[in-house]
Amino acid sequence: MGAVYSLTLRQLSGRWRLVIMTVLAALPVVFTAVVVRDSTAPFIEEFETIVLGTMLVGTISPLIVVAIASVAFGNEVEDSTLANLTLAPIPRWQIVLPKLAASVTVALPFILVSALVTSWLAFNHDVLATWAVTVGALAGLLMYASVFVWLGLVTRHAMAAGLLYIVLWEGFFSGYVSGIRFLSIRYYSIALMHGLDPRRFVAQPNVGLGAAVVVAVAVCVLFAFLSTRRLRRMDVP
Amino acid sequence: MSTNGSAAPAVGTPATGVAPSALSANAAASAVIRVEHVSRWFGSVVAVSDVTFDIGPGITGLLGPNGAGKTTLLRMMTGLAEVSDGTVTMFGEPVRDNPPLYRRVGVMSEHEAVYPFLKGRDFVRMMARLRGVEDPEAATEKAIGLVDLAAAAELPMGTYSRGMRQRMRLAGTLVHDPEVLILDEPLNGADPRQRVHFQALLKRLAGEGRTIVLSSHILEEVERIAQTVLLIVNGKLAASGGFRAIRAALDKRPYHVRVMADRPRELAAAVVRLDSVDAVNVDPDGALIVLSRKVRELQVELPRLAKEEGISLRRVEPLDDSLESVFGYLVER
Repeated sequence: MGAVYSLTLRQLSGRWRLVIMTVLAALPVVFTAVVVRDSTAPFIEEFETIVLGTMLVGTISPLIVVAIASVAFGNEVEDSTLANLTLAPIPRWQIVLPKLAASVTVALPFILVSALVTSWLAFNHDVLATWAVTVGALAGLLMYASVFVWLGLVTRHAMAAGLLYIVLWEGFFSGYVSGIRFLSIRYYSIALMHGLDPRRFVAQPNVGLGAAVVVAVAVCVLFAFLSTRRLRRMDVP
Repeated sequence: MSTNGSAAPAVGTPATGVAPSALSANAAASAVIRVEHVSRWFGSVVAVSDVTFDIGPGITGLLGPNGAGKTTLLRMMTGLAEVSDGTVTMFGEPVRDNPPLYRRVGVMSEHEAVYPFLKGRDFVRMMARLRGVEDPEAATEKAIGLVDLAAAAELPMGTYSRGMRQRMRLAGTLVHDPEVLILDEPLNGADPRQRVHFQALLKRLAGEGRTIVLSSHILEEVERIAQTVLLIVNGKLAASGGFRAIRAALDKRPYHVRVMADRPRELAAAVVRLDSVDAVNVDPDGALIVLSRKVRELQVELPRLAKEEGISLRRVEPLDDSLESVFGYLVER
């Protein structure tokens, strides 16, 4: 598995991709730094909803992950180098898991730093709140990565499909249609934040911490399984 | 090797002269790869149609024009693509969704894409590790030596020429010392010296008892190294067997030759009497279209006849020397 992991790390570490990730990860931090200096700063509930819920977890984090995870397989499908891996005598899950792990490894520093610094500034150095936001964002990273790695195997337009998903589903429908919120990754990331620090995100519909953890694990396992199955059944270019 | 293409009969028997029934029995016993009634279609387009053959040790050439279905067939033989119908087995095992089989198989696909950021040596080492080679370092050096590319092994593959990429990819294919080699258009981009080196290498590997399948759209390329040939045209097995049998069939095919002369009608009247000529037509622009099954004799007789008749020949050109027409002829037989 080490060979696939290190190969994928090299593939995903292009200079321009890292520059774009840095800019994206910096946006919530800059926004927060500006807002907390402003005497007309919004109430903390508004900040939680707009900056952390919508901007960080619902937009920036999935944007970073889609730019990385959707090409973990997508680029190899596109340039037909995937056969180098699938013609190896290793089970397909030993290709999927290192790809997923490499995607998480590349995205992790950006999302970790962004969530950590944003919440540290916003919640005035509140350790519990910072811890809750960071863990929730990282859980979101794992779920988004599982979904977008799978997407890279099912369509040659994974990046576009992923962007549509982020904008329409995570950003629009699940934000405004309460009945389908429970089908969005953002919802469970925020539920985890609320579960770890019950003082925060009280305006969100509540799901217990245990249920949020179970759903997060289930999403990761389900999409890793779907990716493995897809890799076994697809025509490899 | 035996063949049983239901879509088209096999052309001749292998050069060994073994009777087809005996050959089939022998091949069945030694078959490493078995393709049985395999078809593949994409929507309403049939890419491969009911193809059956066995392949044993030695070099087998998969020959056919571009778009004939060779790559689709090879992809099904390697398990990269699903068959729509039929079965493909290797060493008696299904090839699809059977990763352990790849310990014994090396595949070089037609795609020339490489990881541009990887050095050649790192690429081959990675292939060795992926294939579970016990001593990846030693296997890497040996494979790079086989393709004679040690001098460039420390350069990123993105800087390689097309021929160098192909050779390093071949090293990656050979690194786990596979019993079966399946190579799709491996000589693309190779210069003449590299071709000779490659052909010698394949012959040596085949001499060690390996089974090698190599596809090409170039007749002469396959003729030089393959003992047996599978001819694929329009997704069907058009012919199979030893190369001599296929060559003999090709030599009997009729040729159309276009002849321009100053007095075409007189020349037509004279030419039709030649033994080497089957028919003559005069096309609207005054050129003769001569049909001949003995084109070599025609080459000698036509100038002599023109001289005797006092007719000036302005231009003589074959009309159907393209590979597609050669393959097409074999399919129609």
